[in-house]
Amino acid sequence: MKTVFKLASSAIALTVAAGMAYADDAFWKEAAAPYEGVTLRGVTESSPPSLYIREVLAPQFEELTGIRVDIETTSWDQMFDKAIKDMEAGTGIYDMVYIEQDIIYSYLARDFLTDTTQLLADNPALKAPTYDEANFTTFANYFKGDNGHLYGIPMEAFIKIYLYRTDLFGDADIQAAFKEATGRDLAPATTHEEYTEIAKFFYEYGQANNMQLWGATVQGHTGHPASWYEYYETVAPTFGIYNWGIDASNNYAATVANGGEMNSDTAKEALQWWLDLRQYAPPESNQSTWTEVGTTFGAGRAAQGLVYGENAGWIASDPEKSLVVGKVGVALPPLSDGVLAEVEGGNGYIGYYDGGAFGMPSTSKNKEAAALFLQYIGQNEVQPDWAVAAPRVTNTATYDDPKVQEMNTELGGYYDMLRDKGYLFAGAPAYPFHAQLREAIAPTFYSILTGDISVSDGLDQMAETTEATLTELGYRK
Amino acid sequence: MKKNNPIIAIVFWSLVSFLTLFPIYWLFVISVKPAVQLFSTPDVILSDPYWGNYAKVWGDRLLRSYMVNSLVISTGNALLCTTLGFFACYALSRFKMAGKESLFFWTITNRMAPPAVFLLPLFLLMTQVYAVGDFRLLDTRIGMILVYCTFNLPFAIWTLRPTLDGIPKELDEAAYVDGASSWKVITEIVFPLCRPGLAVTLILTWVFAWNEYLLAATLTNFNARTLTTGLSEYVTTTGTEWGIMATISVFTLIPALIVFGLVQKHIVAGLTFGAVKG
Amino acid sequence: MQSNRLGWILLAPTLVILFFFGVLPFIYVVYVSFHQWNPFAADPTMIFNGADNFRKIVFDAEFLNSVSVTVIFVLFAVISELVVGYVLAQAFMKEFPGKAIFRTIHTLPLIMAPIIVGSVWKLMMTPSIGIIPHYLNAWFGISINIGTSPVAAFATIIIMDIWHWTPLVTLTLIAALVSLPPDPFEQAQIDGANKRQIFFHITVPMIAPAVVATVFIRLMDALRTVDEVWMLTGGGPGSATRFVGVHIFKEVFPKTNYGYGSTISVIVLYLTIVACWLLYVTMLAPRNKKD
Repeated sequence: MKTVFKLASSAIALTVAAGMAYADDAFWKEAAAPYEGVTLRGVTESSPPSLYIREVLAPQFEELTGIRVDIETTSWDQMFDKAIKDMEAGTGIYDMVYIEQDIIYSYLARDFLTDTTQLLADNPALKAPTYDEANFTTFANYFKGDNGHLYGIPMEAFIKIYLYRTDLFGDADIQAAFKEATGRDLAPATTHEEYTEIAKFFYEYGQANNMQLWGATVQGHTGHPASWYEYYETVAPTFGIYNWGIDASNNYAATVANGGEMNSDTAKEALQWWLDLRQYAPPESNQSTWTEVGTTFGAGRAAQGLVYGENAGWIASDPEKSLVVGKVGVALPPLSDGVLAEVEGGNGYIGYYDGGAFGMPSTSKNKEAAALFLQYIGQNEVQPDWAVAAPRVTNTATYDDPKVQEMNTELGGYYDMLRDKGYLFAGAPAYPFHAQLREAIAPTFYSILTGDISVSDGLDQMAETTEATLTELGYRK
Repeated sequence: MKKNNPIIAIVFWSLVSFLTLFPIYWLFVISVKPAVQLFSTPDVILSDPYWGNYAKVWGDRLLRSYMVNSLVISTGNALLCTTLGFFACYALSRFKMAGKESLFFWTITNRMAPPAVFLLPLFLLMTQVYAVGDFRLLDTRIGMILVYCTFNLPFAIWTLRPTLDGIPKELDEAAYVDGASSWKVITEIVFPLCRPGLAVTLILTWVFAWNEYLLAATLTNFNARTLTTGLSEYVTTTGTEWGIMATISVFTLIPALIVFGLVQKHIVAGLTFGAVKG
Repeated sequence: MQSNRLGWILLAPTLVILFFFGVLPFIYVVYVSFHQWNPFAADPTMIFNGADNFRKIVFDAEFLNSVSVTVIFVLFAVISELVVGYVLAQAFMKEFPGKAIFRTIHTLPLIMAPIIVGSVWKLMMTPSIGIIPHYLNAWFGISINIGTSPVAAFATIIIMDIWHWTPLVTLTLIAALVSLPPDPFEQAQIDGANKRQIFFHITVPMIAPAVVATVFIRLMDALRTVDEVWMLTGGGPGSATRFVGVHIFKEVFPKTNYGYGSTISVIVLYLTIVACWLLYVTMLAPRNKKD
């Protein structure tokens, strides 16, 4: 396991798998022959899975086929801007772009992406025998268009889960103290009340024992959309508010008056619950994005928290970055009554299933060669090593690999949860105006966080701004 | 020269230097801390440094190429802007051209533009207009050198103008009377007298180019990426690699220090030109 | 005196470069500012909407708020930098041991990229574990949190800006001071002028052009500040540090609101030019009259 994050934390070129042979070398060589000497260019966020593509898969592919693959890794917000500028202007700089799950609907609405299913159907010579769309987990469904065709090859997938400290939760003295204080046994919370109770308990425990320990993480940055995301993706659904409280089938209504739920009493209750958690959270919470939440938990400063799966991996297993290796358990987030039943019934979700895919812009000038590379990274064969180097699973077969199984244990059963409970989670709502609307209402949200406006007034205002913005953008008639 | 007690000056400057250096010291501290220690109680005194980040950064071939790009772009741009700015200021200072004061003011307006929105037209121009055959200006060093002129050339013109205006016109007139060519007057009479101003301009334009982030982030992809864009790669959704960022930052300080050292001599040289009595 | 033709030849390269990389993009931005254009709207094309964007901006509370916080920030930062920078530049005019070393140290902040500066200050200011809040709390019992206190966030940004950019002011003022001819000062001393008279009647008028140039640069750079603030507070808490640069950034990048974002940029550019022009005319009027 010590080797796991070497790649993640540095960009040292790995020579590891060079020369490793897969069953169908012959196919790749033959199919790629017409494109030898082509250089493919891709842009992606510099996350560990992407670095694995750049440092391991791309060189392997080049050796096999003679097709060179240059991957530009950049920051999260730059990546979107660069891909969008290229596709909007039709420049054709990129043959592959990283598609974060929440922006796919914007790209599809603009016909920015190539239909990979169709491309392979039209060019049977390009179809790799080891590539099959059926190999992917259900996460691939988020990259399909209305026609059911796949527009991006999944490359990373995570769920945002409830992390707790097994060392604290399992400590006999703490258990006894908790029992005495609350009258019930200490266990990961299943309801919001329990979650708050545990947060309060550990906050007081930390204070009383003069420890650097608080009750829960809160991703509560007062000027960064991370806080907005924590509420809409993670907190609101557990109260039964889905899709940001907007009713897409009802002319994108957001206000209660028009049939939306963005400012419903439940939405307000959810936000209030989350805001109240801040009193038990470490002081840095008001400046925390997903980065700091991970770091806070990894530094052992919180007893429990709702943490992105991308970070769960290193928190649970990388001793270079985390102080709580081997002390992390995973659970489903706390839920309101009836939400689980509702979600099991196929209506709604309990948290965020996030990740991304590699897609091909319509403006790419090397689609055939790019199709080969995308199939290459979508094969079952390359997945296990990739999953070990950068914890992510996109193909169902990957779960059964012994290396991945071993890791699952280290991660406190995170992969089991991804496999068995993944269906309870969902990607972002299918809105082509994701970032546009977020930015329009986020300033009000930050004002709620700073206390400049009350929860009730703030959500009312946000619901109204939502309808106004969607009208302006032409989605709400 | 007023007689000051050197002790007071040294105490004063030590204090100022402490305030100046502290954040830089802290940058260094971050670079030699393992990530796991970053979110623990801070300690001013550095103990048991960890050099892992330095090994990673040093071994990274991409960062080395970013370093070269940064050096080429900043140096090329600083030389270009200082030279062109010098010529432009000589013209503005010595000739009675119609509308020259308006022109002078107009140059600086190029620096005022909020950059975010200008990225789109620059991107379009550099991909579709400033392109010959397969060559396009986007993602080239020369392209970045030219783009950086939009903020550095006005800067050079505005910092050099007072210097040139301050050199008495009688000096060049006397040289012309002696039969010197314009080129000779500019390079042999005016240029040496401008050295301190030119040195400061060169340093500062170099620094602005070296530190620029937004334009480089958008207008380069593979070939001309600079160190600042390399830094942003470490701000990701799976966590910001503060240690690596800080280490790269420490590395970026080294060339900058060398350039400063080289050019500062000329500011010092200028001191002999005249010192103010205060 | 030479013919003006030589003057134009010397200016030509400057004008050509600024035309292709400054004027043409500007024309494009002005053109876009009269359109409604968001590539992710239901209609992603550019739709001409006359002066609608300009009308909207007058009532845009977020924009007006960002203008006012920017103006306060710029006034605080630039005036402080000018005063401190001048004092330090004068201090460098004297001889003292170790001067070269101190001068080099003083210029170090300049060689740090704004995104690095923002990152370091962010880590130094992280509530409870950053070194500054930690020791303020441990030694003085002062607890500051830039995530909740607008004043703390605002003050941090101003201090950070002063730390970062005062050396620029010092350097340009040193260049101006060392280029001053000594005669007027000697003459004034012979005439028995006191320090204050010398400062106001000789030093100030003589270095005014350099001061104006420096103030301009700082003023317009401060107005465009994005990177440091982006790293440090992201514009928060709430909208307390959402300066126009950050506001435009958010409008243009994540929101892809190219039309309206262009309008804001044109207005901000216009306001900047007017402010600078007024300053220029007032400060440099005496010199121009003399010509």
